[in-house]
Amino acid sequence: MTEAAAGPNGSPGTTRVSIASGPLVGPVLRRVVGMLAARADLPLDRLDDAVLVADLIASRAPAHMQTPSVDVDLETGDRTLFLRVGPLRPGGGEALIVDASVPGVGNVIEQLADDITVKPDGDSEYLLVRLAYSS
Amino acid sequence: MRAHVSTRSLRAGPALIGLTPSPVRLSLPAQPRNIAVVRRALEAIAEELALPRRLIEDMRLAVTEACTNVVRHAYTEAEATEANAMRVEMLPETDGMQVIVEDRGRGLGPSPDARGPGLGLPLIAALTSQLEVSHGADERGSRIAMSFAPTPIEAA
Repeated sequence: MTEAAAGPNGSPGTTRVSIASGPLVGPVLRRVVGMLAARADLPLDRLDDAVLVADLIASRAPAHMQTPSVDVDLETGDRTLFLRVGPLRPGGGEALIVDASVPGVGNVIEQLADDITVKPDGDSEYLLVRLAYSS
Repeated sequence: MRAHVSTRSLRAGPALIGLTPSPVRLSLPAQPRNIAVVRRALEAIAEELALPRRLIEDMRLAVTEACTNVVRHAYTEAEATEANAMRVEMLPETDGMQVIVEDRGRGLGPSPDARGPGLGLPLIAALTSQLEVSHGADERGSRIAMSFAPTPIEAA
């Protein structure tokens, strides 16, 4: 398995979604993320957070992708959902985070995610997002 | 390939992937729980396209059968956990959708717990406007390309 094909933790068991930039990105990504968030046993409020993050990625990521599609790897853990967005253009990870700011609200992804990391990979980079629930 | 299906709409043919754009691709472990993920994505696209409800139901059933074939027959338990064991492409068309389900394992075969070849492929053939069954990439596994289009009654 190549690095790009590996999951957010570099492990098998990952679901990869690749959606051509356009009107299907939001509807498909939010449903898949919602389903996997439920599988991860996230409570309803965190499931809503995950779907909101998915919506933001769907709307902002196309401008920063290296490909004409939005590619997201998803992996579930113990009450945790990992997302890896990319390949992004160089600088695209940070730009995507900045783009997720909403006037009057601030940066939504930063506020909702437990961890955000930009990981370089050759000529591209990936945005890693972890959403978890701690009881 | 050991599929034994004879219907008018079933025909072997060249792979369809690559001939048309592929708006949505999923790569998943070939595990039963992931069939639901495929169904959810399929529903999202179908609803965006405002396809007739009856056609969406047919698509759900046929795609579920195709994915179930992969989960049951294509891989050993260990192989099935690979991230790209089951690949699904969904391609909206002018008046419907094409869905391709592909594996890189053993491909289609009779059910281990049934005497006959099963009803999966004949059912898929009955629900699709066109069906192509072939080997997957590099002659490995199987590829089921299903086209769905509304009947005149559904489209009305």
